Amino acid sequence: MAALVVPLYRRPPFIYRLARLLRWVGVFVLVALVIFAGTVAYSAYEVAHASIQSKSFTGVFVSNGMIELSGSFTLTNPGIYPIEGLVFAAHIANDSGVHLTTINVGPETVEGHSSGLFPIVAWLPISASSAAESLLFVDQYLKVNAWANVTYAYMFPLSVALSETRSWGAPFAGFHATVGTPTYSNGNVSAPVTVSFANHASFVEQGSLSFVLESPASVACGGGSFSLDVNPGSLYDQTQYVTLNTGCNPSGGLLEVTLTFEGSTTSLPPEPIP
Amino acid sequence: MSVASLGGTAATSARATAPLSPEALGYRIPSLPYRILIAALRAVLSFVFFVAVPVAALAYIHSRGLAIPVSIAAVTTWGIVLLSLSAAKYVLKPTVAYGPLSVALALVFFLYLYYLLSLSPYRFVVPGGTVSLAAGYALFIEILMIVPVVEMIAGFLTTVEDLWSPRERLPFDYPA
Repeated sequence: MAALVVPLYRRPPFIYRLARLLRWVGVFVLVALVIFAGTVAYSAYEVAHASIQSKSFTGVFVSNGMIELSGSFTLTNPGIYPIEGLVFAAHIANDSGVHLTTINVGPETVEGHSSGLFPIVAWLPISASSAAESLLFVDQYLKVNAWANVTYAYMFPLSVALSETRSWGAPFAGFHATVGTPTYSNGNVSAPVTVSFANHASFVEQGSLSFVLESPASVACGGGSFSLDVNPGSLYDQTQYVTLNTGCNPSGGLLEVTLTFEGSTTSLPPEPIP
Repeated sequence: MSVASLGGTAATSARATAPLSPEALGYRIPSLPYRILIAALRAVLSFVFFVAVPVAALAYIHSRGLAIPVSIAAVTTWGIVLLSLSAAKYVLKPTVAYGPLSVALALVFFLYLYYLLSLSPYRFVVPGGTVSLAAGYALFIEILMIVPVVEMIAGFLTTVEDLWSPRERLPFDYPA
């Protein structure tokens, strides 16, 4: 009888079909994720080798006693997955650790096979008695702590932390404003005022420097102005004779100096007159 | 009554009356040496993808002076355990041990993924010491955990099927 038995096709039992379906789902998910991980790794490799291009910072004096530093960086994404949620923040402090300014960028997105240009602007307070006043006169190293967060390929968050020091060239390095010995001529009293400094900054200083000689009683004895057009790395050393008001003696007083650049003014710390 | 109509109880009924060959019951199980050979070949192939390549990648990262996210010894150990279980599962597929082994393999795979999940994010410092990075991959691992979970359920179902109707699945796993 056994030889007569002919196995007939029959549908697999439900429990068998369910187990088989689940195994196929597992295999499909595993294969899909392995392929996804492979493409992510390859794209990330391409992104890592596409260097971030940054333009050098340019600085200008702006109103409210600030230096505005502006620049930009370009992030190229040659991979197939987007770079999302790009957030960049940087804290800048001076030599002493005093916080000067904060830079914030984002959140931004750079799609695959594209690049993004991101402007960066920072304002440094350089007016008298402000935190960054010394940036005007003293070359120093700035402490830069920067952070960036991105999400790559939808599910891979990446955080980058950078800590470094950047050299800062003072626009009025070694600034000296001195008043010489008054001289008498034709009944007038005049005094030589000499201004000297070196422009160690990366930007041209174009504007004017005006000054007022004040007596110890804060009475203006006279004043004048210097025209400035100082290239980076150049020295400036000019003397100007100022006719003093009759009966006004600036000796023991103060030399008040004001910078004017493109309509904005910045007062420098007063220099004592010997 | 034909064998086909006996369904899951075909083997039991047949044993009670007259012994039927597997071919007569609609399946042909490969020999044990053949299954061992195929399992070994699969293990070698899997070893390349799941152990050798990751270890090579980790060694490359380590050679560049970067911290590695997971130790090479851990990847090797987990990989060998998984491959051994996978090979045993394949060899013992015609037996009732197949279901429990499937569950065990899925459980070990799940624990391996959980171990990797606990190591996320991967933190390292670029040589020079000024730049540090943290790369998270937790979401990817969590999605990957779907695989052992469904495998575990499938293994459990197979175990139940084998207990309820022994050899019921053999004509479908090893059609004659």
